[in-house]
Amino acid sequence: MIQRYRASAGIMLTPAVTLIGIFILLPMMLTVWLSFQDWSTQTPFSSASFVGLDNFREIFGASSVGRDFKGALTNTAIYTALSVILILPLSVAFGLMVYQHDVAGGTALRTVLFSTYMVPMIAVALAWSKLYSPSEGPLNQMLGLIGIGPQPFLSSPRSALVSIVLLNVWQQVGYFTVLAIAGLTQIPGSLYEAAKLDGANRFEQFRFITLPLMRRTLLFSAVIAIINAVQVFEPVALITQGGPVGSTNVLTYHIRRVGIERAQGGLGSAMAVMLMLSLIVVVCALFALANRKDQE
Amino acid sequence: MSRGSSSRLPRKRPSGRKALLATLMLLVAVASAFPLVWMVLSSLKTPAESMQVPPVWIPHTPSLDAYEKVSGVVNVGRSMWNSLVIASITTAGILITSMMAGYAFAKYHFPAKSLLFSLLIATMFLPPIVTLIPLYRLVGSIGLNASLAGIIVPNLANAFGIFLMRQFISGVPDDLIDAARMDGASELLILFKIVAPSVAPAIAALALFAFVYHWNSYLWPLTVLQGNADAYPIVISLSRLLSYNRGAVNTGLVMAGATLAVLPPLILFVLLQRFFVDSIVGSAIKG
Repeated sequence: MIQRYRASAGIMLTPAVTLIGIFILLPMMLTVWLSFQDWSTQTPFSSASFVGLDNFREIFGASSVGRDFKGALTNTAIYTALSVILILPLSVAFGLMVYQHDVAGGTALRTVLFSTYMVPMIAVALAWSKLYSPSEGPLNQMLGLIGIGPQPFLSSPRSALVSIVLLNVWQQVGYFTVLAIAGLTQIPGSLYEAAKLDGANRFEQFRFITLPLMRRTLLFSAVIAIINAVQVFEPVALITQGGPVGSTNVLTYHIRRVGIERAQGGLGSAMAVMLMLSLIVVVCALFALANRKDQE
Repeated sequence: MSRGSSSRLPRKRPSGRKALLATLMLLVAVASAFPLVWMVLSSLKTPAESMQVPPVWIPHTPSLDAYEKVSGVVNVGRSMWNSLVIASITTAGILITSMMAGYAFAKYHFPAKSLLFSLLIATMFLPPIVTLIPLYRLVGSIGLNASLAGIIVPNLANAFGIFLMRQFISGVPDDLIDAARMDGASELLILFKIVAPSVAPAIAALALFAFVYHWNSYLWPLTVLQGNADAYPIVISLSRLLSYNRGAVNTGLVMAGATLAVLPPLILFVLLQRFFVDSIVGSAIKG
């Protein structure tokens, strides 16, 4: 009997494990291997030649390759930090608006917020590059109504990256709001009743009940937001192509340009490995921080 | 914040706080909906209306001319068909592979099970760019580049689907499966005839997720197609419209294209949003 199910397990697992093995795990290992090779993406893997740490030296070096990579790393770090800083508080605030029962319309609000998450980035790019248009864009017209002068948005190196962050926050905040609502539903209502009997006001209830009990949800949201943020590609590819003056050149866009368009597979792979390592370090640090707080 | 409290406790100053909350909620909803509403309204304007100063927000004489013009710039029919093929076949593949693997992880005991599961789940958190370069070469070397198959085949299985299916299939009673085994049913038959119907909502959620995700997917198709415009999904063909985005005269055209790209996923979402939301909540809480 057991033998039969062992064979069945093999049959059931083969399709998924084979596909994920060939198309995700194998390329993952190849990326690590290629990061130590000199290799053109146009040639077979067998033409790669071992160069030790040369690729890593070059991407952190003083040449233009190094400058571009370090710029992209910095841009991605700023992009990620801004996204998380904006998305987490907004998702909790919106989650509270949806979850409260004092004013009707919470579910409708959730639908509106989440619907933007379904929109393909090409549509977002087409609409927002128009909304952001310095001369005839509706955003500047509305800012004009409240007495704020026209903003350059995507056309200035100082504001382009932030403009891309805002567009992505607009699109993704609904997803994180749904996660926040999931966290809120896990908090027992009796805690609030008890706090109210003790005379806690709304702010104190939020500070001492909601926020601490949302910590696991917020940790999960932060991890997902970080992973999403390092993947940002489409708005940059579609709207700014990394510019102006490299101000929106983020890692995913840069790695693809180096590794696919310029066919410098070794260099691109070394950059991808650094992206992966940075991501692991940040996520581990986040978990360590959360665990230490748990012990307090 | 305080569920149901307002109905039980006497309200001293109900109107002020509620009015503020309602106003805030309305503001958030308007800000969130504005870009899409503006997009649809602009797509219905005539070029003359688009250029009017001060701007007209709502078109006086709504027209569908812009939609006709889009098909002069982009091969809408062909691209929509490509997107439909890519999203449907990928979704079908993901459903089958996820149900099978999810069933194995939920209901079988085999060596190194938790190790294998952790390894698969880890791929869920891997940014696609990390594997993009070798994957591009790999798919090219098996002759699938520049084709729809090249877009589809690498995506026929994913960790999220396996994870979701395992979560839900774990909840199916063992007795149900054992009874079918007594009757001599094969394992595959049990999975598709007995287990699948009892986790139908989860399957629907996964199907919708996969469909919308692969309808919208951009990075991999762009990379693997190498400029083969015949195989472009709609989200890539429409990027031609970006070059029409200078000046106001073509705003209607551009927004009509954007609206076309949004419609299929948005319609699916509106019809079936319960499944979407439930499966996100499910994956967050149970995970």
